[in-house]
Amino acid sequence: MNQYIFHPFVLPFVLGMAFVLTYCVVGLLRIIGQLPKDDRKKFWRSLVTPKTAWANIRDLFGDCLFHVKIWKRNPVLGYMHSAIAFGWFMIIVIGHVMLFTLKPLEGVDVQGFARTFTNFYYPIFYKHFATETPTFAFLMDFFLLMIISGILIAVVKKIYSKIVGVKRITKFGFADNMIRFALWTIFPFRLIAEKSNIMAFWWLYSIDLMIFMCMLPFTRYMHIPTEALFILLRHAGLKPREPRKGYALAQIYSCPSCGLCIDACPMSVNDKNSGNTSAYFMKKLRNANDEEAKRIAETCMQCGKCVAVCPVSIESCDIKMSQREATPYTINSDHSYLDSISTEVEKSPSVLYFAGCMTQLTPKIMRSMKKIMDAAGENYEFLDKDGGICCGRPMMLSGKKAEARAMIEKNTELIKKSGAKKLVLSCPICYKVFKEEYNLEGIEIQHHTQYIEELIKCGKIYVERRDTKYVYHDPCELGRAFGIYDEPRYVVHSVGQIVDAKSEKELSICCGGSLGSFNLTQQERDEITANSVNDLMFNNPDEIVTACPLCLKTFSKKSPVKVKDIAEIVGEQIENC
Amino acid sequence: MKENILIIGGGAAGMEAATQLKKLGLNPIIVEKSDKLGGHIAQWDRLFPAFHPAKDVVEQMLNNVKDIDVRLNTEVTDIQRNSDGFKATLSNNDTIDAKAVILATGFDLFKAERKQEYGYGIYNNVMTSLELERFFRTGKDDRINNPKKIGFVHCVGARDVKVGNTYCSKVCCTTALKQACEMKEVFPDAEVYTFYMDLRMFGPGYEDLYLKTQKDFDVKCIRGRVCEVSEDMDGRLVIKAEDTLFGKPLKMTLDVLILMCSMEKAKSIDKIQQQLGVANNSDGFMQNKDMYLGMNDSKQDGVFVAGTCTAPKSLPDTIGEARSVAVEVFNYINNR
Repeated sequence: MNQYIFHPFVLPFVLGMAFVLTYCVVGLLRIIGQLPKDDRKKFWRSLVTPKTAWANIRDLFGDCLFHVKIWKRNPVLGYMHSAIAFGWFMIIVIGHVMLFTLKPLEGVDVQGFARTFTNFYYPIFYKHFATETPTFAFLMDFFLLMIISGILIAVVKKIYSKIVGVKRITKFGFADNMIRFALWTIFPFRLIAEKSNIMAFWWLYSIDLMIFMCMLPFTRYMHIPTEALFILLRHAGLKPREPRKGYALAQIYSCPSCGLCIDACPMSVNDKNSGNTSAYFMKKLRNANDEEAKRIAETCMQCGKCVAVCPVSIESCDIKMSQREATPYTINSDHSYLDSISTEVEKSPSVLYFAGCMTQLTPKIMRSMKKIMDAAGENYEFLDKDGGICCGRPMMLSGKKAEARAMIEKNTELIKKSGAKKLVLSCPICYKVFKEEYNLEGIEIQHHTQYIEELIKCGKIYVERRDTKYVYHDPCELGRAFGIYDEPRYVVHSVGQIVDAKSEKELSICCGGSLGSFNLTQQERDEITANSVNDLMFNNPDEIVTACPLCLKTFSKKSPVKVKDIAEIVGEQIENC
Repeated sequence: MKENILIIGGGAAGMEAATQLKKLGLNPIIVEKSDKLGGHIAQWDRLFPAFHPAKDVVEQMLNNVKDIDVRLNTEVTDIQRNSDGFKATLSNNDTIDAKAVILATGFDLFKAERKQEYGYGIYNNVMTSLELERFFRTGKDDRINNPKKIGFVHCVGARDVKVGNTYCSKVCCTTALKQACEMKEVFPDAEVYTFYMDLRMFGPGYEDLYLKTQKDFDVKCIRGRVCEVSEDMDGRLVIKAEDTLFGKPLKMTLDVLILMCSMEKAKSIDKIQQQLGVANNSDGFMQNKDMYLGMNDSKQDGVFVAGTCTAPKSLPDTIGEARSVAVEVFNYINNR
């Protein structure tokens, strides 16, 4: 006769649980300890700031518990994940609630410390020791079956992923495969054990739990405990500073390797390159495979689509940038010429236009901008008429912040001296660095899509509408980076008919010309371009419109129809007044 | 009965092949999509390296084909293989039964608009090498008004990964130097610059032309690519380039800029090529059987290739290939 609610089969579980809890506490302290001082301060402050605190609560429930983002991305996967994770969560919660109503089979009543210890495993194995009320019995069975239904979908997904709308799934190593097998079998074992009370199944159930808990810190399932911390850190507004420390480490642990980014990545158009996607990058970082992590960070085009589709919002692009910053590339840059550039200004315009080097190579855009600004009667000046200074973004992309700074400072001086109140850029590559790295207080920075939209809306220019069917391509650094989706569409709509691309807005596919990648070959880029053009041609448009000179150049090579910048189509249809 | 040989394309390769086939006792039929024979060479004024009038060569070739069946303003719209050879349907609904087909479809000139940074079609005073030949022939072009500074850009659309053409277009180097000298002849006071990557003077007398260009005509050859072109207030062209021998960037104002456009395989033949099963190489030109002993054979039985449809070639090379294809076809017919 048992004096206590105990059986040796609970031991594996208890051991596993103790291990994982210890590991998580140590990991938490390590991550917080690795944060730079100012970041840590920011973090503590964010926890008590009402705005971020509210965002924390919202996302902890929305993302960790209800998996809203996966539901949005793919309802089948949403159900699969919720069934397992939410179902398991409910079983744990209900189990603990139920503790008070359980009637122990042996009639034992344990009190005090022993009771507390017992409670640690009691709800997990209660069926062996007690009976529950019918309501609880129903709830527990319901959620258990829900979990098993989720596991069934997972098994189908593993065998034939296309059926759930996923082309490529992440390829796993031994440890990940093993822990997944453990996870899949935990609940069927529990069901059998509960229904039959055969000892062997209780043992199997408990050992399965132990395997899962003990392997968890070293596999993708670490995302379960880490995601909560990651949400808090993210809302504190941190940026990864080092590729494998602090905030980045929290992200590495939070990546569930679900592989949604694999299908999304433009590079996956070539199967060979699907191993360069963010899911694998995060895995390489986790496994401390620095060589490979460095290579993938250099291959990435920084289009940000993986971040847009990520159900956990892992900022893999930022981590890749921090990886680049950590690599001492030798670039012989000579910025001595900057001193010789005069900052004297003759006239003081209200609008300053900075074409940037890519637009200098696509003079049609500059011409159109000139025509538009003339028609609007703007008092403007071209900042880089005679060739200006680079905006600094290419250096930034190479992880060379100090070198970029030299150019940024000179440009800032030039812009501020001009006295202009507005800076217009036609290159999203420039726009990103101007928005993020420049300190131009009091000067409004606009991309030309926003600027032209404003001119049309306030009646400064009049555009004659024509019948042409346009499709608009969202440049990565304008769309995904800044959410500028509506302004360009308004402009295109003012000029003609607009048809949808197959993938739009945050799902738009990189043109393949990106400055971001160091080592994609021309052929690999061409494949990406062809795929992106195909996607844009989905509704048979007459012309492709984009808002980035680099996209324009890249598409022009592969497109069956004319490719134009948004400024060009406006310039063509503008009425001179 | 004489055996029909269908020749698609009435340029230098097509005409010369027809001439030789006729001499060999076969019956060549030339199908030419434009309204006259001669192809690109008929639009040229003078030929390198000796400034020989293109007209002389073209007229002689035209004279050679005057008894040959030529269908102008006609395209092959459909071609089917049968037990007897080929049956081709033309755009005027005629049909031709032929024992063998020679593809002598030549090249398209690279569309200079595709290198937007050079400003063709945007700035007035940017023109192509072909347009400059027209100026030499007619003496008229609105863009050329007693220029003081003239620039030539080599390799436009050639050896350029960014436009997808990695090959060398072979003849533009020599053409550029020839045209530079000719500009200097017309405008002796003008300064003439050429911007090259390498000068590939591969043929007899070509290197001499290069020396002459510098010594006698005082043309300045700068090694480096032009990276961008813009227009100043007066409509003159401002170019940016790098002098790679000095390792210095340079900026220059020019009155007229001539783009040496590369050759690309003519696109209009794509459909027929597909019907015949003749594939392209990675550079977009037609594939021949092998580069040494099978340069005129396609991989398809009875289908032959000649001239610039397989790679950029000079006029002498093209004529040589046209003659060799005639022998190949003659042997093919006799061994059937």
